[in-house]
Amino acid sequence: MIDTFSRHRPLALLATVVLAQVLLLAFQIKRENNVRLIRYWAVELMTPLERAGTWTFSHVGGIWSGYVGLRNTRADNERLRNDVNTLRLRNRELESESAEAHRLATLLNFKDAHTEAPMLAAQVIGASADPTSHTLFINRGERDHVRRNMGVITPDGVVGKIVEVFPSTAQVLLINDKDSGVGALFAASRTHGVVKGSGDPQPHMEYVINEEKLQSGDAIVTSGEDRIFPKDLLIGAVDATKPGNPFQVISVRPAARLDRLEDVIVLLSQQELLPKKTEEASETSNVTTAQSSAQPGTPATASKTSGVVTDPNKFKPAAAAPIQAAAPLNKTPASKPPVPQR
Amino acid sequence: MSYMLNVGAHSEPNVEVHKFYSGTIIGTVLLALVFQAFLHKYGRWSELIDLPLLVTIYFGVSRRNPVSGLFLGGAIGILQDALSHDNPIGMYGIAKTIVGYLASSVGARIDTENPIGRFGLIFLFFHFHQAILAVTQRVLLNHSAPFFTLHLFIDSLVTAAFGVVLFALLDRLRRNS
Repeated sequence: MIDTFSRHRPLALLATVVLAQVLLLAFQIKRENNVRLIRYWAVELMTPLERAGTWTFSHVGGIWSGYVGLRNTRADNERLRNDVNTLRLRNRELESESAEAHRLATLLNFKDAHTEAPMLAAQVIGASADPTSHTLFINRGERDHVRRNMGVITPDGVVGKIVEVFPSTAQVLLINDKDSGVGALFAASRTHGVVKGSGDPQPHMEYVINEEKLQSGDAIVTSGEDRIFPKDLLIGAVDATKPGNPFQVISVRPAARLDRLEDVIVLLSQQELLPKKTEEASETSNVTTAQSSAQPGTPATASKTSGVVTDPNKFKPAAAAPIQAAAPLNKTPASKPPVPQR
Repeated sequence: MSYMLNVGAHSEPNVEVHKFYSGTIIGTVLLALVFQAFLHKYGRWSELIDLPLLVTIYFGVSRRNPVSGLFLGGAIGILQDALSHDNPIGMYGIAKTIVGYLASSVGARIDTENPIGRFGLIFLFFHFHQAILAVTQRVLLNHSAPFFTLHLFIDSLVTAAFGVVLFALLDRLRRNS
């Protein structure tokens, strides 16, 4: 290298001197916009280098962030996956708690709306092992002053009655059990009958003569004659009817969701549940609307339509007020069937 | 400058290297620059002769040292630029640096004592010098400087003829070895 330079020293010096003078010229000469030529050259020289540097850095950075920086990604991914699973689990728990809180709030509101009637909230803790038996167990028993033949309801409607009492639990016979029977009447016509279980999911209303005009959706409420349930608690609605001998065969759609019960109310007395008087309740006096509100499984829609049960505090278990108001005062029941006493 | 020009004077031992009395080179260069500037006042005919170029060529071929030749040519060119009112510094400097280097290189290889050879050498260097100036002006200044015109041709002939005479006069300033 040194030998080569020594051999070509004059030529190297010539190049150096010429280059120095070219730079000197470039420093003096000005181009457009009064920019010195040497600045033009510097920019022209540096721009590709800067561009190359930027490209290199961006690609090296991309390689770093895309490959080298991802060396812990698998572990991070695993950890985040675990976090997601944990959070999903937690979310389900919270949703469950929220639903439970909602149910309990509904029960509490119902209870607050009927302070005159002693009642006890209970949780369903089990069901019968016999598939043909429609019974379930609640977490209230003798210690809670629960006794046999006490009515069990939900804000939606009648559930059943207590058939066995244990120290801390009790067995509830659902209204669709084949041994069950509830004194009932049609909310509109006030015709009496008995809602009896058949072993099927849907109970039947019996002892109703064939001449009785019924429509699907007609509300059925308790008559109070069984001395278990107070009067005018909603049982359900007519689902289907067909003529029978000597009585109609009426299939009843229960208002309470008997297949998904979680929280129930035990009525500690047979005292009639009188709803708190509200402006909305007084405005509602249409029987048809009341019947609509009695449609099992569609309480919210019916409530909105009738304007009665929008607020749980204003819940009317059997749409009692409007139905009673709409019912003819001198209407006598077509028949008074025997109410089963257990 | 004299010291620098003397450095490497014996780099070509087989070629006769002419030496000058001290101060001769500097004095001649300054006189050439002064005369060039002075003659400009008295008519455009002075533009026919490029005295600094002739001095550069003469001392280049006489000294026969490329290093000293390029430095001398560069110094003369920069001074010429400095004395002009519109030339950026370095325009003549680049051209005369290269001419000084080539003149020194050529002087070491061919006979430069013959008047006809000198005439031809000056003629060629004049056009080479003009070519470098044209390239520099075109590239750096964006000026459309000509490479060859009839005027330049006449200039080159006049300068070459004057250079033959001038070289003969300058030969008298050589120091006897």
